[in-house]
Amino acid sequence: MSSYHLNRFLFDLKMNEQIYQRALSNLKDEISQYDLTPEEQGALAAGDPRRLRQLGAHGMLSLYIMRLNPEFRTNIYWSQK
Amino acid sequence: MPLVAALAASHAPNILLEPGAEWEDFMKLHYRMAPQAASSKPSLETQQRLRQEAEKAFAVLRSDLEKSMPDVLVVVANDQFVNFFFNHIPTFFVTLADEVKGQFTRHRFHYRNHKELGRAILKAGLEKGIDFSYGEHIELQHTQVVPLYFLLPEPKIPILPIYVNTWVEPIPTPRRCYRVGELIREVADQRKERVAILATGGLSHFPGSPRIGEIDTQFDHKLLEILREGKGSELAGYSLEQLLQAGDSEFLNWMVVLGAVGDARAASTFYMPDHVATGWGFASWKI
Repeated sequence: MSSYHLNRFLFDLKMNEQIYQRALSNLKDEISQYDLTPEEQGALAAGDPRRLRQLGAHGMLSLYIMRLNPEFRTNIYWSQK
Repeated sequence: MPLVAALAASHAPNILLEPGAEWEDFMKLHYRMAPQAASSKPSLETQQRLRQEAEKAFAVLRSDLEKSMPDVLVVVANDQFVNFFFNHIPTFFVTLADEVKGQFTRHRFHYRNHKELGRAILKAGLEKGIDFSYGEHIELQHTQVVPLYFLLPEPKIPILPIYVNTWVEPIPTPRRCYRVGELIREVADQRKERVAILATGGLSHFPGSPRIGEIDTQFDHKLLEILREGKGSELAGYSLEQLLQAGDSEFLNWMVVLGAVGDARAASTFYMPDHVATGWGFASWKI
């Protein structure tokens, strides 16, 4: 399967504030809106960029999962594009 | 009016972040991805020195730009998943908007866009075998605004963002990017406006890669030496693999400027690796 939908979710997480907020509230519900394999869903839930890259996510997009990590939610990284 | 100025500058976000809290916060995420880099993270004093050195380099480039009295600044940069995604990745893209805006932390940017020059480049490309994508709206991002903050802080002249896909495989060859630069020069030489060109990006860095945190300073020094020797056309013969191995995919943006200046010697070059992520590089050519 193409990693298009995996990349799409990661892209939306950075670029779409509503999707980011919904993912913060309920990640499982939000990623169910995307055509993802159980393995991809598991990697997103685990929040591990390296695993996402192994599954075909673009290296930069895989980093965006860190936006859900409590340690990095307010990082200045998200205030620039 | 021929091309009047040619510049190249890194666009690493930490160039514009304030040394201290901003830099540390941003880099916290980088260090999580590149734990080996954390062991060599720069002290506050080193961050401040890097910023000062970058400002000195930008001052030289800005002086060259202002002395050339340009009517428009073409900005050649890569998109990093702000305007383009996997539903459409243009290899080369010309902006035909009326105006362009963007934001970087607390800094806001707003420029007129020189769509007439953009349309002329687009049409010349179609006639000469380079089929640019184009669009009437883009959002500026750090790849443009970090250098623009230092080089064109007041929007006195319009800019023209042109994008090169340096990030999403497959990406264009150095020779193809050089050819795009030649085309821009051909168009500029026929225009009434005084055209300046700026390439952004690089030098060596490996964002989003297992090699994140590495900097191939040796390769970067070699690139800058070739620019100073006025042998930019030699770099068009480099393979893509040579650039990618050194983490210099964004040097493809610089290849466009090299195509525009031909084998002119770079009059000024500056290089300062930030120790943990990117080799900051800067160049200006006397046209």
